[in-house]
Amino acid sequence: MTDPSTAAAVAAHADQPIGPGSRSLWQDTFRTLIRRPDVIIALLVTLFFVFVALFPGVFTQTDPQRCDISVARIPPQWFGGQFPLGTNQQGCDVLAQVVHGSRPSLLLAFVVVGCSLVIGLVLGTISGFYLGWVDMIISRVLEIFLVVPLLLAALLLLSMFRNVPIGGPLASIVQPAIVLTAFGWMGYTRYVRASVLETKNLDYVMAARVLGASDGRIMFRHILPNAIGPVTALVPTAIAGVIATEAVLAFLGIGVRRPAVSWGIMISDGSQWFTGGSPHLLLVPLTCLLATILSFVVLGDNLRDALDPKLR
Amino acid sequence: MQGVFTLFAVMLLLHLLTTLAIQLNGNPALAFFGDRAPSKSQLEAVEKRFGLDDVCYDQIGNPCLAQFGKRLGDYATGDFGTDLRGRAVTDIVATAAPNTLRLFLVVTITWLIMGMFLGSVAARFRGKAPDHGIRLISILIDAFPVFVMLLVYKFIFTVPISGWMADTFGKDSLGALLFKPSFSRDAPWATIIVPGLLLGLTGAAPFLRLVRASQLENYNADHVRTARSKGLGERHVTLFHIVRNSSIPVVTAVGFVFAEALAGAVITEGMMNIYGMGGVLWGAVQDSQVSVVIGMVSLLSIITIVVMFAVDILYAVLDPRIRYD
Amino acid sequence: MKARSLAAAAAALTLLVAGCGGGGNPGGDTSSAGGDKTVRLALTQDVETLLPMDSNVGDNIGVLEVVYDGLVRYDAQSTKPYNYIAEDVSSTDKTTWTIKLKPDFTFQNGEPVDAASFARAWNYAAYGPNGMANNYFFERFVGYDEMQGVTEEDDDGKITVQEEPKAKELSGLKVVDPTTLTVELTGPFVGFPTMLGYTGFFPIAQACLDDIEGCAKKPIGNGPFQIDQWEQGVRMSASKWADYKGSETPNYNKIEWTEYKGSSSWPDFQAGDLDTGAPPPSEWQSANNDPDLTSRKVVRPGAALTYIGFPLYKGAPYTNIEFRKAISMAIDRQAIIDQVLPGQEVPADSWVVPNGVPGGVAGTCADCKFDPTAAKAALAKAGGWPKGQKLKISLGQDDANEQYFQAIGNQIKLNLGIDYELDPAPDFFARRAARKFDGAFRNNWFPDYPLNENYLVGPYASGDAKNGNDTLGFYSKAFEDKLAEGDKAPDLDTAVTKYQEAEQELAKEFPTVPISFSQSVAFYSENVDNVVLDPFSGSTKLRLLNYVG
Repeated sequence: MTDPSTAAAVAAHADQPIGPGSRSLWQDTFRTLIRRPDVIIALLVTLFFVFVALFPGVFTQTDPQRCDISVARIPPQWFGGQFPLGTNQQGCDVLAQVVHGSRPSLLLAFVVVGCSLVIGLVLGTISGFYLGWVDMIISRVLEIFLVVPLLLAALLLLSMFRNVPIGGPLASIVQPAIVLTAFGWMGYTRYVRASVLETKNLDYVMAARVLGASDGRIMFRHILPNAIGPVTALVPTAIAGVIATEAVLAFLGIGVRRPAVSWGIMISDGSQWFTGGSPHLLLVPLTCLLATILSFVVLGDNLRDALDPKLR
Repeated sequence: MQGVFTLFAVMLLLHLLTTLAIQLNGNPALAFFGDRAPSKSQLEAVEKRFGLDDVCYDQIGNPCLAQFGKRLGDYATGDFGTDLRGRAVTDIVATAAPNTLRLFLVVTITWLIMGMFLGSVAARFRGKAPDHGIRLISILIDAFPVFVMLLVYKFIFTVPISGWMADTFGKDSLGALLFKPSFSRDAPWATIIVPGLLLGLTGAAPFLRLVRASQLENYNADHVRTARSKGLGERHVTLFHIVRNSSIPVVTAVGFVFAEALAGAVITEGMMNIYGMGGVLWGAVQDSQVSVVIGMVSLLSIITIVVMFAVDILYAVLDPRIRYD
Repeated sequence: MKARSLAAAAAALTLLVAGCGGGGNPGGDTSSAGGDKTVRLALTQDVETLLPMDSNVGDNIGVLEVVYDGLVRYDAQSTKPYNYIAEDVSSTDKTTWTIKLKPDFTFQNGEPVDAASFARAWNYAAYGPNGMANNYFFERFVGYDEMQGVTEEDDDGKITVQEEPKAKELSGLKVVDPTTLTVELTGPFVGFPTMLGYTGFFPIAQACLDDIEGCAKKPIGNGPFQIDQWEQGVRMSASKWADYKGSETPNYNKIEWTEYKGSSSWPDFQAGDLDTGAPPPSEWQSANNDPDLTSRKVVRPGAALTYIGFPLYKGAPYTNIEFRKAISMAIDRQAIIDQVLPGQEVPADSWVVPNGVPGGVAGTCADCKFDPTAAKAALAKAGGWPKGQKLKISLGQDDANEQYFQAIGNQIKLNLGIDYELDPAPDFFARRAARKFDGAFRNNWFPDYPLNENYLVGPYASGDAKNGNDTLGFYSKAFEDKLAEGDKAPDLDTAVTKYQEAEQELAKEFPTVPISFSQSVAFYSENVDNVVLDPFSGSTKLRLLNYVG
């Protein structure tokens, strides 16, 4: 049986470029993108939040974990007040939390997409290049992971292992990162495999082969650079997806590990207060989340359109 | 055959993971007693109920394969185990599955309508205001966490709307039922429509994008150009040549995304008090009810595989280029 | 608020008296009234069984309250027991008790409610391998130990049965004749009659014993209502049993419960689909600002105590009483409750619920007042907290409790400068039993019967001077002596006083930090009145509820 998602991937892939000289493609893409105002705005928003995540100290000096319940649920006081964005139910400073909360949310997204991409590139290239039994094994494994839906797997695994103690600086995001990566690499693998299959028989690869280049050299110098193109377009959208997923996991209590604060945790804690007289507890983190996701998706969509010669 | 292999692998994987989780997390039977210290014989009795009285569950790293074999044997005879109070998993599924299927049906219809309609409009007006508007809104809805939407709906809208409907059209009118704050077993269809619609809305965006992309591809395809050059009207071309042809990947996606809706179902079922597969599974995971978790996930995997298979066949029917040997 | 609940209780008593008067012709007027007097309620806990011997959560206790009649029932206000199925419960030495039953009561299937029906239930519950949740109630009965069998626990905590239990019946329990039971306890216990109205002491029919699984889903009761249908996890319904001979039966003829698992039933109450409801914390304020809603509201102090325990078996700083007092005084209980669990808890300053059970008085814990300055001084006196270390606070997995203890931890951090770390774990109870904590931990005591003794023996007494009690490692000779004096007291009132003295001994030792007592709040619809909440389970007292339609 042909796998439906392969068909979907191939169908979706059909509007991707078949690697011309990669440099000119990237230059073209860049030129197309830079002319669009929505891309500029999206890029600025993205960079802003990445900056916030990297340097939270620039935006707030307050410890997000210092909470005084006697000043709980103060509405935003804006500039000049002690709590510019108010305080939450526990009396913690919302500004400090939303600033510090950006880091786990974004870090998780980058780590998950980064790792999935690397796995996808390696497995996809190997599988598309060698075919035969290697391809078969990878495809079988891939199918097993495909049958279990990502979020279902995340629900099961994260709640089963949420109490296993983990140390280190990344402790708060390690578990969701592993699970989301484990069930997120399949798409990239299929994309890469499909483009490797197409690139493999192009003249210049043939030429390299005839000239006696090693398999490794052909794969990584000649095939991979061409296969990366279409996959790149997936990255911003995927990052947006992980940020959204984190919020859902946080609602179920299995996302970023407390006491670390993430946007998802803030949204799920604050959502009930939206109707309970403190709407800022939901609106502040939700605005940041939506702005970030929207920016990444706009970037992704435009990148995809720009990389697609058929749609020009 | 391949499906059977995949199913087996999924079950084995699940068994190994739950076993490890029990070994790491400690004895779930103790939680059963809450604040009381149980006598040893009681603990033993409860461990038996949980099916955890085997030594292997106390040894970290032991795969407990004997237990797995026993479970497979039970499954083969149609015995999917019981929960800790002796209720058969098949009985639980029989109660829960119809509600989840209802929910999925509403979700799927929402996806189809939203995706096909808005996706087609976006593709038709590519690059113009409607395209941008639809894409922006769809992304926003997609990014909007489903629990926020349900919470706001449940706490702000249901009470006044259903109250007004009941006053205007009568207590058991469709309007009053539609906006009930919780699922009602007496009106299983009417009370599931709005929750399903909301869940469907949040999942519709990727679908919409897929429809738009595949239609754009078709706009430039040879057969469409041919149709245009024959002098056929733009509306005719859109309807018969573009929409029809782009429904192929859509069918694929319905099957594929079907599986993904389950996680949303956990939240929707929980918040709207629908007794469904998602909610039951979630509860079972929380209580470490191994036999319920494995039994239900196995059943779900079977359903997923069957749906994927059905989609495959449908795919072949719709696209004459694909044939099975 | 207090005044209102008192008024409701007074009304309840009036009704009770009226009910007794009309006892001669039970069910007569209700069946003729017939029609559709339906009360619609919510079940918010995970109800898994309706077997009396196995029911130990508020919701199934609440349901069984109208399905079964016990030997004694409790006064709604004073919580004192009075005889119901029992004609008389008496003892000369407080060790051997004679229970006389009223004749002629039957189960809903026609079987007689006789001495054998009680013995049958109690023996089943006491038999260890049956794994009944209410097994421990029979610990004081002679012959209990022989019914538990011999088990051995190895180093990994694995339990193996060495020997099956020798006995299948309690040797201290004897059926003398169809209306007489004698119970022999292992020692004198003056509070014995107080236990007898609890769910775990209800009788069961022989037909129920023959089909335990069926009976757990569709009980064969002897109370005023019969369960018609239970779609587990979804809903349950009960209707009036026409042949009920007892006096206490409400004026409606059908009850419909809807199960809510995790989701809030408040909007359903607001929409008029339920007759009682309680708002979640975020809706608390708006509900209380609505004069229409608050005109139909009852508040009842509950009986469950939430407290912080320390691993006294781990040594310093936990064994230092000043350290424990510092923690206690650093917590602004009222502020936390107002934000996190408004209306659901009240600050505690005693180890036994005040006014809720005989012997409970407020203020036995002098250091339960919020006083950050005194807290800092006490911490300094205790030698401070090791720098850079975090205080671990362990608790079970429960979102509301995590919020609650996060707030408590924040207070400790803010007022004592001790950084904390929450440790919610599913194996919380296992670790507590195995004494594996190295930090503070949450405890919750939910009394089983209304007597102050119940708050003291379970959590603190052990008789083990060397290791202390199971969960804390606490031991105090003075405390245990007072308890023993109480058990041997000639009458309940003397016993209660002795138990009070035991609580004072406890206060001197300050082993744990009381945080809050539970409180039940219910808003009700225009269809019902006389809503009285049970102080123990928090559920609506169904027999007192009045349908006004």
